[in-house]
Amino acid sequence: PADTGGAAQKRASGAPAPVTDVARLCVCDLLVARCDANCCCDPDCSPEEFSLFTSCSVPVVVGDSHLCRQKAAVYSLDVEANPPERIFQLIDQVNPSIFCIHATNYKQALHLRPPEMPTPENFDRLLDEFGSAAFSAEPEGWGVATEAPGPPDANETRSYQYGAPIQTEDAFLRLPSPVVSSWCSDANPAGFLVNQATKCIRSVSVEKCDSIQGLSMLFYINSSILAVPKSSQMVNVTVQSIVVQSLDGTRTLLEGADGLRLPLALDELCLNIVLGVSYHITYTDTGAIIEAAAAFVLGAISKEALSVQQSFQISFTQANTKPVPLSGNPGYVVGLPVRAGFRPQGYPFLAGLLTNRHSQLTILQSTPSQDCLAAQGARAPVRFGYNMISGCKLRITAAMKCQPLAQTLLDVLKGQSFPEYVASFGNSQAQDVLDWVPITHLHISEQRLSNTLQSSCQIPVSLGIEVKWTKYGSLVNPQARIVNVTATLSSTTLKQLPSGRERIIPVTSSVVFTDISAPAEPGYKAWPTINIKLPFDFFYPFV
Amino acid sequence: SSQLSSLPLQILFYVNGIYYIFYFLATLAMIVYKSQVFSYPDDFLAPDLVVLFLMAILEVPRLYLGCKGNLTEEEAPLGLSLGVTVGSVVLCVYLLAWQTYVLWADVLLNAVLLCAYGLESGLKVMAIAAFVS
Repeated sequence: PADTGGAAQKRASGAPAPVTDVARLCVCDLLVARCDANCCCDPDCSPEEFSLFTSCSVPVVVGDSHLCRQKAAVYSLDVEANPPERIFQLIDQVNPSIFCIHATNYKQALHLRPPEMPTPENFDRLLDEFGSAAFSAEPEGWGVATEAPGPPDANETRSYQYGAPIQTEDAFLRLPSPVVSSWCSDANPAGFLVNQATKCIRSVSVEKCDSIQGLSMLFYINSSILAVPKSSQMVNVTVQSIVVQSLDGTRTLLEGADGLRLPLALDELCLNIVLGVSYHITYTDTGAIIEAAAAFVLGAISKEALSVQQSFQISFTQANTKPVPLSGNPGYVVGLPVRAGFRPQGYPFLAGLLTNRHSQLTILQSTPSQDCLAAQGARAPVRFGYNMISGCKLRITAAMKCQPLAQTLLDVLKGQSFPEYVASFGNSQAQDVLDWVPITHLHISEQRLSNTLQSSCQIPVSLGIEVKWTKYGSLVNPQARIVNVTATLSSTTLKQLPSGRERIIPVTSSVVFTDISAPAEPGYKAWPTINIKLPFDFFYPFV
Repeated sequence: SSQLSSLPLQILFYVNGIYYIFYFLATLAMIVYKSQVFSYPDDFLAPDLVVLFLMAILEVPRLYLGCKGNLTEEEAPLGLSLGVTVGSVVLCVYLLAWQTYVLWADVLLNAVLLCAYGLESGLKVMAIAAFVS
């Protein structure tokens, strides 16, 4: 029997009333107003269609089988008759068990309660009851702020949390990024302390280039950033630098450019469109933003261009610190440069090391010209885990003197400032001297046995840096740690050339990373010991 | 030296006591079974359990007063026992008809108990009439 009150409510809100009459229930009736195959309970089927069925997919429709007595609709096919016909019987089904339900005073026991349909009146109550974190209201301060700001709480200190979207006057600081496809979406917020770099494609047209917002510098520095969430203190985004990229890709830094350069349509070109923005945000250690600067790359597009690739980047620096980029935390991450430094002379033993950008461990970089003397200065940083080999060719003429040549080659191989120490962990601090590994220098000189007494000219021709590293720490999360760095310089004897002759000798340098981890031994915790002791006054009266 | 105490009533009290222990354990076990097999929310389970325990609490003084009254041939305790029987009958009818799930076994047990109550009440009335006169 249908619940009449509920049915009235359902009719009012448009949901179909629940059917509980077994004679009218049909589970296999899936097609509306058409006959389903082998569905004996389908009301849309005519007797001719019944005669085509082979069996009944639903032989009996019954309610809860726990009930003592209930009506059951039984469908069967009488295949003996010609044509076969469907037999429908409404019988009383009896459950013989002594634990069958004779009666129940709880309506929901036997049929599913139709869910309450949300209306504007009961929506909030339903949301409180059933909505959990998945359907909670938007986080505070998101989007266009239409809510009235709460009373300012003097004692409450607000600050940006890691990952919180950086709020600006109107919405949030945008870092356009590709969402789903490669097209730029302007709705991606920049997260606090989340260094991001994105590249996306924006569709352009020269005619409308000054109306497309994402191409103009103004779009990126227009709204000021709030120093702390929901505050009235604003930080303006300043233009740090402008680099102009020409149509063929050459980039030039504009001197003394602070002003805004808006897109300008000129003949068949559109100038001053934004090709890249790099935000640099300075924050304090209390989580407030104090400075924001943006460096732009502006370019030009021609008439045929339909889309342009833009790249965006944001980085965060703490105020009053000089950030040192880590190569891992704590173990080295493959691909990040190996950190190196010097110990200043004359300082006491416990002093720290000097690390600056110029004292990286570098290796000679091969150039297309392959001439050692012409390519002085081109060096590539040694990246952890990447074995590298590079080289150049040295043309020796008779006129070259030995000592200056040896010195030049040493400069070519080792670079201007070859470091003395290498950081053993990716995050080793300069003041922890014990975290730094000294570079061991080996010198192999090739000497002919017969000419040992002759002082011949030795010129270094190859530098091999072998970095031995080990896995350190737990089995499940091993960290890479540099244990030993050996720089092997091989020299060869330079024979005096007859005048007018030249020789070309190859000069190579290589970096090899060797894993010297000891095989892992899992350590198991000791079995807990049972430590039973009686209290000291257990035998009180007798002891 | 005519004995006014009713022997059938005393036998009935004795049998009722034993039957009631079985009835209480069986009904409790069935409530536990129902709560596992069917959907039995807490605010429907609580009244059923309360009624069952209340009936158990009432049964003890009812039988004691009845026995005492019958054996000492006093009508006061017997009358009191009759009053308590009325309460027990109401609770029994609740468990028979107004429980959340009434199983066939519930119907049988409660029907037997109701019959016993009915018979007892009749015999008590006769005994009171005999004692008063």
